[in-house]
Amino acid sequence: MNSMVKKYIKRRESGIAIAAILIFILFSVITDSFLTAYNLFNISRTLSFYVFIALSQAVVLVVGGMNLSIGGIGALATITTGYLLQNVGVPSSVAVICALGIGIACGALNGFLITKVPLNAFIVTLSTSFIFTGLVYGISKGFSYTDIPKSFSLVGRKAFLGLPIIFWLMLVMLAVVFYIYQYTVTGRRMLATGGNKEAAELSGINTDRMILFSNILSGFFAALTGILYVSRMGSAQPATGTNWMIISFAVAIIGGTSLDGGVITAIGLFFGGVIMVLIKNGLILVEANVYFEQAFLGSIILLAVSLDRIQYFFSHVRKKMNDSKNK
Amino acid sequence: MLELQQIGKSFPGVRALDGINLQFRPGEIHALLGENGAGKSTMIKVVSGIYPEYDGEFFVNGDKMTLKSYQDALDHGISVVNQEIQIIPESSVAENIVMDKLSNFKKKSGRVDWKAINAFAGKYLDMVELDIDPNTPIGPLSAAQKQLIQIAKSLSCDSKILILDEPTSSVTRHEAATLFSIMRKLKDQGVTLIFVSHKLEEIFEVCDLVTVIRDGRWVGTDLVGNLDREKIIEMMIGRKCSNEYLGNLNKIGEDIVLEAKGITKESEIHDASFELHRGEILGFYGLVGAGRTELAKILIGNSRADSGTISVEGKEVEIHSVSEAIYEHGIGYVSENRKEEGLILDFDVEQNIGITIWNELKHRFSRKIDDVAIRKEEQRHVDKLQIKITGLDQMVKNLSGGNQQKVSIAKWLAADCDILIIDEPTVGVDVGAKEYIHQLIWDLAKVQNKSIILISSDLPEMIKLARRILVFKEHEIVGELDDIHTRESLCEDQISRRIGEFLV
Repeated sequence: MNSMVKKYIKRRESGIAIAAILIFILFSVITDSFLTAYNLFNISRTLSFYVFIALSQAVVLVVGGMNLSIGGIGALATITTGYLLQNVGVPSSVAVICALGIGIACGALNGFLITKVPLNAFIVTLSTSFIFTGLVYGISKGFSYTDIPKSFSLVGRKAFLGLPIIFWLMLVMLAVVFYIYQYTVTGRRMLATGGNKEAAELSGINTDRMILFSNILSGFFAALTGILYVSRMGSAQPATGTNWMIISFAVAIIGGTSLDGGVITAIGLFFGGVIMVLIKNGLILVEANVYFEQAFLGSIILLAVSLDRIQYFFSHVRKKMNDSKNK
Repeated sequence: MLELQQIGKSFPGVRALDGINLQFRPGEIHALLGENGAGKSTMIKVVSGIYPEYDGEFFVNGDKMTLKSYQDALDHGISVVNQEIQIIPESSVAENIVMDKLSNFKKKSGRVDWKAINAFAGKYLDMVELDIDPNTPIGPLSAAQKQLIQIAKSLSCDSKILILDEPTSSVTRHEAATLFSIMRKLKDQGVTLIFVSHKLEEIFEVCDLVTVIRDGRWVGTDLVGNLDREKIIEMMIGRKCSNEYLGNLNKIGEDIVLEAKGITKESEIHDASFELHRGEILGFYGLVGAGRTELAKILIGNSRADSGTISVEGKEVEIHSVSEAIYEHGIGYVSENRKEEGLILDFDVEQNIGITIWNELKHRFSRKIDDVAIRKEEQRHVDKLQIKITGLDQMVKNLSGGNQQKVSIAKWLAADCDILIIDEPTVGVDVGAKEYIHQLIWDLAKVQNKSIILISSDLPEMIKLARRILVFKEHEIVGELDDIHTRESLCEDQISRRIGEFLV
């Protein structure tokens, strides 16, 4: 793009990266079980899931929206996969395509309601999250689908070059996202929509289409994450996705995705995921009471959002200084 | 009397005000002039308590002031009427007036005493000659009416020193006249008035004294009678300004590029018809909300008309979206609202200008935008418009108003539209940049033979640029002036009077 934006992003991203490395060192020093091959393998796998979950949120945050139904979409994709594999007996590829199709359809429904009715993204996705979750439990009656072919678990469990396959998959996805938002017209138009919807609209951008597309992308990532969970667990569980909402916001926000829209960084998302997984993993290793986990997560999000505001504050101070310099 | 002694104010890295000595006397309308960034706003913020820390001191009627907040200033009888109108749109007129002293209007039961509030507000509405029910919601009122309500609010605080910071920036000359008569009335009552405006003709109309500041320093103070337009501009920008008269446009042929017939949209515009010729500058004049911008937004496909037809280059077209308007019909729209609708403030200059040309400069297969080509094209426009930036990577929010407006225009030059609708191009832009933008619009029509619709409520700007003027009133085109091309003989007052006749 250009040097100054790069500098700006770098400053933001390097802060996140430094924080991640510090936490990493901290846990390496204070616990014995952290820096083991087994633990690191597990961490990198969980990290991959967190990044996928965060991606499904970040792509709608970018256009100034949100998606509270990613957990519902993920669960729906999960049990679609399980149902097709166990009860219908279709090949894996067909199950995956159908599950992704469901995710895209759910995202399209959200996007349609937000842009065409039009309704507020919060209300729409809050409502559809109940609809999707209701469908999940209605269809599965609360039971997991456990008759999943062994071959289906390949991606979720096996390693490549010492790291989980899904970790590599996650890196590829991040690279694709980076390319889209950095270099393509559609990506820039989505950023502009989030930056200032009215100005984007009057500059000839079909903002409704951008918002619709972002929601479809969000549904796609949520469904993909759900399918990967099936592969990871070897079973399709209706409870998949119950904690995604909080994770998605936490990782996306820690990763520097602006809540006001217009900003996304792939590197930030990666390190946001790293911070998140380290804190969760570290809490277990230091034998903190795991029943408090939700409270920790909530606090981390608050902290990250405050940092976002503090950055905002400082950028205003900088702006003021620049303004007076220009005078 | 407000007296400033050696007032100075520094921000990190810059001296915004330096050694200002000034006196503002009661019963006097004192104009405070200077380019954007000259220090006017800083000075106003110092004397109204918004910047509690500064160098030097100031006195009101001989008492040294140490104000900690704006509320503190109000309590000392100093109030500011801002260019950005601070109101709560959902609340009633009366509520907006008494907002800061609502606790004075409590019944014994603790409930709000609406009768007393309305009576109180009504008294001050009468003072500013506004004939509206204090109970009506303030939101739908016109910009001028809101401005007057703000003044009523200041009066209700019993202000002895009233600072009017660009109160006329979004109202027409005819509305401003009401404001001026109220200012004169207040002057007779012994109020000290400080008036900031970019419209110089207003200064001559209403002010007694003029003070000019530049780069944070005092340049001069004089009676308005001793000054003329050229002299004031010279004081403001530190050099002589070029001639006002721009010459004649090309001979306009029969070549009609845009034609609208009977455009109607409920409560926005009724039965609007006009023709736009190639190489012409056509003016849309009228109040904010009279239907000018509403019609423009229909022409660019941002909103849909209930009925009526639009023809481009002689062919009847239906414009469904802004992107169709730009890329298929070559119609662009420079918004009146550069901060809300024209620019993405958090993005850099490159992205703000490039937004209209990304699509043309992308690789066919990789879909990658050709950054090198984009930057080259953008730099060309930045140079041509003399936009002062540190580089294409500078954030737009860090630019001055005039430069922001130039970026907003550069975006449309890059899009290379044949028809440009330019809405209020010089609101909040200082004299130097204003002249430059005028020259630019003129050249677009004269040199590049583009067809331009100029929407403005700034009459001198309209007369300077437009070849024909359509007058809008209450969602209709009520008149047309098509004989103002004999520019040598143009007389502003005459044209103003004729427009006034349409508006009655």
